[in-house]
Amino acid sequence: MARERTQLFRDVIDGNIPKRVPVCVSFSIEFAIQYAGKNLAEAQWDTGQLEEIFDQICRDFYSDLLPVNAFRFPSFYKLLGARNFVMSSNGFLQHPEVEGLLQEEYDDFIASPYNCIIEKILPRLYTELDTDAATRALALAKAFKAFHDEMGNAVMIYGRLNQKYGYADINLFAGFTEAPFDFVADQLRGFKGISTDIRRVPDKVEAAVDAATPLMIKAGLQPFASKYNATFIPLHMAPFMRTKDFERFYWPSFKKLVDALAEAGHPSYLFVEHDWMRYLDHLYELPAGTIMRFEYGDPKLVKEKLGDKHIISGFYPVALLKTGTRQQCIDKAKEIIDILAPGGRYIFDFDKVPITLDSLNVENARAVLDYVAANAGY
Amino acid sequence: MLDLQALTKAVGDLNEQQVLAMLKEFVATNPGNEETVAVVNACQQGMAIVGELFDQKEYFVGDLIFAGELLSSAIDILKPVLGGESTVTVGKIVLGTVEGDLHDIGKNIFKNMAEAAGFEVIDLGIDVPAATFVEKVKEIKPEIVGMSGVLTLALDSMKKTVDELKTAGLRDGVKVIIGGNPVTEEACRVIGADAFTTNAAEGVKICQGWVK
Repeated sequence: MARERTQLFRDVIDGNIPKRVPVCVSFSIEFAIQYAGKNLAEAQWDTGQLEEIFDQICRDFYSDLLPVNAFRFPSFYKLLGARNFVMSSNGFLQHPEVEGLLQEEYDDFIASPYNCIIEKILPRLYTELDTDAATRALALAKAFKAFHDEMGNAVMIYGRLNQKYGYADINLFAGFTEAPFDFVADQLRGFKGISTDIRRVPDKVEAAVDAATPLMIKAGLQPFASKYNATFIPLHMAPFMRTKDFERFYWPSFKKLVDALAEAGHPSYLFVEHDWMRYLDHLYELPAGTIMRFEYGDPKLVKEKLGDKHIISGFYPVALLKTGTRQQCIDKAKEIIDILAPGGRYIFDFDKVPITLDSLNVENARAVLDYVAANAGY
Repeated sequence: MLDLQALTKAVGDLNEQQVLAMLKEFVATNPGNEETVAVVNACQQGMAIVGELFDQKEYFVGDLIFAGELLSSAIDILKPVLGGESTVTVGKIVLGTVEGDLHDIGKNIFKNMAEAAGFEVIDLGIDVPAATFVEKVKEIKPEIVGMSGVLTLALDSMKKTVDELKTAGLRDGVKVIIGGNPVTEEACRVIGADAFTTNAAEGVKICQGWVK
């Protein structure tokens, strides 16, 4: 079964028509914990329970790729005193607005981004690193120990689940990076900071984004080149900008990033968050075979503009799984598949990752996934 | 005297340098209260233009955030010449990002625009438990309660907050508006809010309708 499923994805990536539309959905760790009836805070800290928790998702929801993928655990963020990833009162880890770099420090970052990150930005984002060198070294060592323990545990669980359920042997999360502008916005200046900077100090923003680009390329490289293993890039700020600002500040360095990864043999897997319909012509310019999961927009237009060059995914509205009848949910899947499947280059996925159990009706979700698995043949 | 129409246009264009230069020049003339109130109104009208341009997809969320920053710099310059009676509020809004959610960008945009429209906004911050909303409504007695959230789980907290306002006997005394990415007409009905919006400028218009 794993071989057959792997072939579905390989065909899509190679530009051939697969036997059937491959299904790649994923559920958040929070959803999985709630589904298993466990305590949200406890299970994210005591990750010994994770295998049993993830197994229930694999058992009950059809997917051709592993449908769970957690990589942010509270332990190492807490050990670092992180301000950029914080758990809310009810156990959801989130990214609050942070300012890792002050506006007057742009020149430091532009001159030497790596040094600036080490010396100024990390101590500001991680309060446990804002101390003397020895204490900081210990804090970092503890956090990395926790990080490797958690990730080692998680990766072993993923390996066992892959084997048990016969999932496809391709990896869409083999690398992870950010668009350079998103990095500057999310980690250095904040949404508010960057939105004012592009009007008050535009040249500095442009220079900082350029300075961040080699680091983002390096972060996104994988140890081995394979066209079946992608680097994941979740996209953030573009829909919140004017097109002319996007064209100046966001696009050039982002294109450079995706081009550089493609040249090194790594396709990019983009989560095209929010509304990118203004930018479809830009997206077309990315290297052929870029995988794009859309959250929002007109699937017809996207297929027409991008379908002959790139691989399209997403669009299925999770919200409908909550409010629709079983038949409405299945009809929607059929409608989206009829638009996106012709000619191949399509992977079935939801528009977003469900984060709470009650954000969907479980029966509807299962019905839709089973329907696609059984009926989306070519 | 300052050209009010030019000021409104400069605010609408988000031309910060021009706005601040005009206001500094104006303040230097040591103006009277009436004149200053007229200038504030001109700025507010500029913000209304920003809201319209957002509706027309000329401006986007980043521009709204900048507009808020621009307006607060403008008010800072005008403060020394703003007399007491000029700060007539059209109504009070108790505002917060609901329990479990740490996102505050949308809330802050709404806050800026509501203040620009003359509301007094009591901002409770993020991850605000229902009990805190109840306490503050009791204390402040606002006309309006505004709840914000980005995550779908925020909808549950919004419902819980409305339910607790009901239990405390406060629900009938206030209008409730919810805002943020996950809110929909159906969510609004289930939660028991009076209005919903994903557009801060529209949200302010709804609030203005309530206090007329």
